[in-house]
Amino acid sequence: MKLTVNGTEHEVDVEPEMPLLWVLRDELDIKGPKYGCGIAQCGACTVHVDGMAVRSCQLPVGDLEGEVTTIEGLGTPESLHAVQAAWVAHQVAQCGYCQSGQIMQAAALLDLNPAPSDEEIDAVMSGNLCRCGTYPRIRAAIHDAAQKLSEA
Amino acid sequence: MQKSVVILAAVSIAGAALAEGALTLPEEGSISRADGQAAFERIYEVVIHPRCANCHVGEDNIPMWSGPSYGEARPHGMHINAGESRIGAEFLPCQTCHVTSDDFDTAPHAAPRFGIAWQLAPVEFEWFGKSRAEICAQLKDPERNGGRDWRELVEHLEHDASLNGPVAWGWSPGGDREPAPRTLEEHVEDMALWGAAGQPCPAE
Repeated sequence: MKLTVNGTEHEVDVEPEMPLLWVLRDELDIKGPKYGCGIAQCGACTVHVDGMAVRSCQLPVGDLEGEVTTIEGLGTPESLHAVQAAWVAHQVAQCGYCQSGQIMQAAALLDLNPAPSDEEIDAVMSGNLCRCGTYPRIRAAIHDAAQKLSEA
Repeated sequence: MQKSVVILAAVSIAGAALAEGALTLPEEGSISRADGQAAFERIYEVVIHPRCANCHVGEDNIPMWSGPSYGEARPHGMHINAGESRIGAEFLPCQTCHVTSDDFDTAPHAAPRFGIAWQLAPVEFEWFGKSRAEICAQLKDPERNGGRDWRELVEHLEHDASLNGPVAWGWSPGGDREPAPRTLEEHVEDMALWGAAGQPCPAE
């Protein structure tokens, strides 16, 4: 079957039941999205499908409808997405394992809500767990990215 | 007589996907009030079951987690609020986790899925924690049931099930979730029996 990831079309020979995360990591060698729980409880595997945040660990690739964006396609080292730049500025990551999912979820949040309140950030980001507890920095970075995007 | 026709029609479709218009509807008034009340009691057991009521919640727009695997009923984890849109557009879309798929077979504790976009039922269709009398009054009130008479309620169930929507999923919920009581076919038949009996409601 065919799927488009970060603007590139790929042909993969997999069972339709295979979760998108497996296809990305094991078939296409795109390792940004992480495996955490496999049942949409932690958010580490979050990618975008046509701009919407999706937990790729439990999306059967046969049910995929739309183009996939992973953290590799969100920005580039030369031109970071505003959320990535804010993550660097606020040194959000500690161990970093969940951060790909956090950033993808935060970018999707700002797409739907350009100026979220603390409460709205908490409501949207509570599906993305961070065992290092970087939540205060995540919140600050999202506010910062929202500000930068509004000025752009 | 009419009741047996209904039952035969229902039996004939059991085991296959429920087809729209598969049920031969009984004549209005052909079902006794007592049989209609018994049918409503079975309908009530279905709609207050966690597979149905957890997403038929009120104006706080917060889906519930309840059922044998949860112990006490609690709000959906992860701070979920589906917003006034009832699809999560204001916060986290339901579809971030709940995939649209005709394959209901998910792992225990994974996000369940069905064949149409996951969402809360409209707020007027609030069932969670509601009494028999309250739910009965809502189900028969076109202002609060999507403008449907009893025949259209039957059609609604058949149509949703034909799309592998929540009505079909409730009896095959995947994972280790407890299905709604009895069968989809019996529920559709009960809706017809209750309707043909004049939609009688319990005093309480």
